[in-house]
Amino acid sequence: MANVISASHLNLSYDKGRKEVIRDANFTIKKGEFVFITGPSGSGKSTLLKALYGKIRPSEGNLIVGGMDLSTIKPRKLQELRTHMGIIFQDYRLVNEWTVAKNVVLPLMISGYSMEVQQTQAQRLLKHVKLAEHADKYPLELSGGEQQRVGVARALAKNPVVILADEPTGNLDEYSSNVIWDLMENACQQLETTVLVVTHKIPTIFSLPYRHFIIESKGVYEVH
Amino acid sequence: MKFIKNHLMFILPLMVILLGVEFYLVFERTTNSYEKGLREGYTMLVVTKEPMTLSDLKALSPHISSSEPIEREEIVHKVLKGVTKSSTEGLLHALPYFYNVGLDAYLKVSVLEEIKQGLESSPQVKRVETFGSSYADSYRLFSFIKLVLKLFIGFMSVVSLFLIIKQMEIWKYLHKQRMQIMEVFGAPLMLRSGVLFKVAIFDAIIATMITSLIFFFIKYKWAAQSGIEIMVQKQEALFRMSDIGLLLGVALSIVILAVYIVVFSSKGVQE
Repeated sequence: MANVISASHLNLSYDKGRKEVIRDANFTIKKGEFVFITGPSGSGKSTLLKALYGKIRPSEGNLIVGGMDLSTIKPRKLQELRTHMGIIFQDYRLVNEWTVAKNVVLPLMISGYSMEVQQTQAQRLLKHVKLAEHADKYPLELSGGEQQRVGVARALAKNPVVILADEPTGNLDEYSSNVIWDLMENACQQLETTVLVVTHKIPTIFSLPYRHFIIESKGVYEVH
Repeated sequence: MKFIKNHLMFILPLMVILLGVEFYLVFERTTNSYEKGLREGYTMLVVTKEPMTLSDLKALSPHISSSEPIEREEIVHKVLKGVTKSSTEGLLHALPYFYNVGLDAYLKVSVLEEIKQGLESSPQVKRVETFGSSYADSYRLFSFIKLVLKLFIGFMSVVSLFLIIKQMEIWKYLHKQRMQIMEVFGAPLMLRSGVLFKVAIFDAIIATMITSLIFFFIKYKWAAQSGIEIMVQKQEALFRMSDIGLLLGVALSIVILAVYIVVFSSKGVQE
């Protein structure tokens, strides 16, 4: 299997290198793998995730995602890369003035798909996350768990190469969390999507084989 | 209420610019006819030794557009009433030729001087009288009014443009969440700024419509009923249908420029 993500001697920092967060990280993640990244608060889990979708640039070393080096990538190429990613946030990040259906098809809208395709896909995705009857509602009319399911549906909209999730169940109760893990397991298993999840702790109900990295003292280590 | 306030804060400065543009157009049209009157009413006096045709005079200055000879016989007849015919003929023979010379445009006093020098450089021309003093007074007043109006419109436009950009930054803040989310999913700058363009273009159309309505009212109601002679006479110059297109073009150019300035002044939407 080909590498989807590859980091070599990766350093991540803020304030133009003054505040170092990750030092000399080396790892590779293959297509279809499910990966958990854990670590204490403030260890740099979210920073690593931000680097993976190009929000912050590596201060040293290389970070290659989908064949593109994020340390030297041009803005236009980064935009293109992001259209092949599905990103899930702890705070859902839905557009509150848009309907649920419109939120779900945002990646398709960005890629210029026709309205007809968008409508068909919205119905399919919302059915998949069991929210078909909520298509015309607005995000704030839904519960937290339902909003996160909309977030998952949005992340899956374009069959992405990789899904990056930042504490996706951090604000949810146990039942809603289980639904979200179930959806992500399915995406990994059925679509062979690489899934990388940043979380405080790995869910006990998880049934798929997975890899586990831990961030400690600025280093990224794999737990075997 | 907040929605209306947000739009008014954009529409009002834009209207100030559009009103300035329209006032300038109206002033230009009105003053053009006034300028034409001044130009047509003005002639300089050229005294020559020999008769000169219009093309002879044009050869000395391209600004000369007309020449009207003053009948010498008439002058002599008026001056020398009761004098013998032979004396009259002698005087007529000695008298130079007089021409009222018109110009093709309303020119600066310095250009008048150049024309005068050009004419006097010819050995056939004895004297040129430009009546520069009264001409200069009218010209300076006219130029001063034009300059003041242009400066005022320019100043108001700059201030209004800053207000428009400020309001655009407020809009950008209001739409920050949506723009951030779109950015994360790879939307290009133009797509995630689409909402700013939409709102700005909508407001540009509204501002154009209101400005046009104000001038429609001035033209068909106020000017017609004002009883002010010049307003009634120049009613046609107050507003033309083609001005709507021009105002819309100006408004759209300004808002698109303002959106570009705001969008490109900060590359990413900061979290």
